Amino acid sequence: MSFTLRTINVGRNVARVLFNKVCYPVSQTVAYKSDQSQAENRPTVAKLDPLQKSQLIDFGKYVSDCLPKYVQKVQITSGNELEVLVHPDGIIPALQFFKDHHSAQFVNLVDIAGMDVPSRPNRFEIIYNLLSLRYNSRIRVKTYTDELTPIDSACEVFKAANWYEREIWDMYGVFFANHPDLRRILTDYGFEGHPFRKDFPLSGYVELRYDDEQKRVVVEPLELAQEFRRFELSAPWEQFPNFRGNPVEEVTTADPKKE
Amino acid sequence: MAARQAIQVGTKTVRPVLSLDSSEARSRVLSLYKAWYRQIPYIVKDYDIPKSEEQCRAKLREYFVKNKDVTDVRVIDLLVIKGQMELKEVINIWKQKGHIMTYFKPTEEPKPKDFLSKFFSGLE
Amino acid sequence: MGLIKKTTGLMGLAVNPNPHHTLGALYGKIIRTLQKMPEESVYRKYTEQIVRERAAVLQQTKDSFEIEQKINCGQAEELIIQAENELNLARKMLNWKPWEPLVAKPPKGQWDWPPSKA
Repeated sequence: MSFTLRTINVGRNVARVLFNKVCYPVSQTVAYKSDQSQAENRPTVAKLDPLQKSQLIDFGKYVSDCLPKYVQKVQITSGNELEVLVHPDGIIPALQFFKDHHSAQFVNLVDIAGMDVPSRPNRFEIIYNLLSLRYNSRIRVKTYTDELTPIDSACEVFKAANWYEREIWDMYGVFFANHPDLRRILTDYGFEGHPFRKDFPLSGYVELRYDDEQKRVVVEPLELAQEFRRFELSAPWEQFPNFRGNPVEEVTTADPKKE
Repeated sequence: MAARQAIQVGTKTVRPVLSLDSSEARSRVLSLYKAWYRQIPYIVKDYDIPKSEEQCRAKLREYFVKNKDVTDVRVIDLLVIKGQMELKEVINIWKQKGHIMTYFKPTEEPKPKDFLSKFFSGLE
Repeated sequence: MGLIKKTTGLMGLAVNPNPHHTLGALYGKIIRTLQKMPEESVYRKYTEQIVRERAAVLQQTKDSFEIEQKINCGQAEELIIQAENELNLARKMLNWKPWEPLVAKPPKGQWDWPPSKA
């Protein structure tokens, strides 16, 4: 019955609440920037919608006001992507809020990703990508942890989190408390180590070969024929092209005391 | 979430992985050892490995003794968790004969440690 | 209008013969759960506002099709699911108490991007 939804939407009625995001009707034209610079006129560059950006910023402020205990920061990237940065204790309340609340309804968990930044105090970052089909928008929820601190599993909130958390355990070594079945998913059965960590080398620590005496594949410590060479030249590619002109903007609430 | 558990590690207060103090961690380690010990006869039969039960027990002891100096409760917990995952893979015969034999490392030669052996093998 | 819905069109979602009654009961429960939260919490304020608006629509008309049109957020059965979710959330929020001030600030340098070299 999404067809009825779209046709009703053309005449938007008063019953919409203040911070509800509006479903876009099919006939809406995207707002053009009249003073676009030359580079942005190419057809392959995505046209950014300032209306969507302002709605996302409002929603970000709403979220940080609703959950002041756990939300540490709210950001919006230049591509109109909202990111909510949460303290690790509050990841389950935050995910439950996003799933159940009337003006959020982010029922769909798209992905749980991990990130390893060894220079930080809590090196791992867990990133939940959520999608709302009702309001046609996406949001990113991020938390942090280090190697020895467990994170509560999101399986009771989203059933889809099961395999994603198993993958993060296997690849990074982040333990998820209250997970129904946490075990390895991508690596081989006797594999030791967590491959996506930045200190795990590209070649790994072991090599496998078939041994004729044992009549099976054996696992041995790695021996490269040539030593690993690394050329410390600066790369010809710009390292962070996306941050050239559009840094991530922080969404601040009216209260100057909040960050 | 309302009553947050916390343990002391050194001077910091951190969130525990599974056990709250070292005696609880110790009991987890011992029960893991007993589970592996009791599984050994079935390992030898199911995987048909060319090792006797006595050799398997010695290897099990060696693996547990290798980590005996760990003091941090959370590290002990994570090692126990990994041991439990390995045990589950062995019990359900998800592993294969080759995986079990890698525990014994038959093809690895010990690397020379003192100066003379390193000199003779040309590794310095 | 004597329209009777034959099917919701959605898999696994049965037609509710009297959604007006169910919705009224659920909105009442939500309001009562929200009353237990402190007055100044933003969550309570806006959730009450949303729920009272929808309950007001329920007061005006008993016809489920008109209710769906006025609230404009999917079918009546979907509205029931949304209200059940909100009730679940409100009960859990009573335990979590998210209106308290920030539990812990992030450590220094935690959210910097690009990460500077150590």
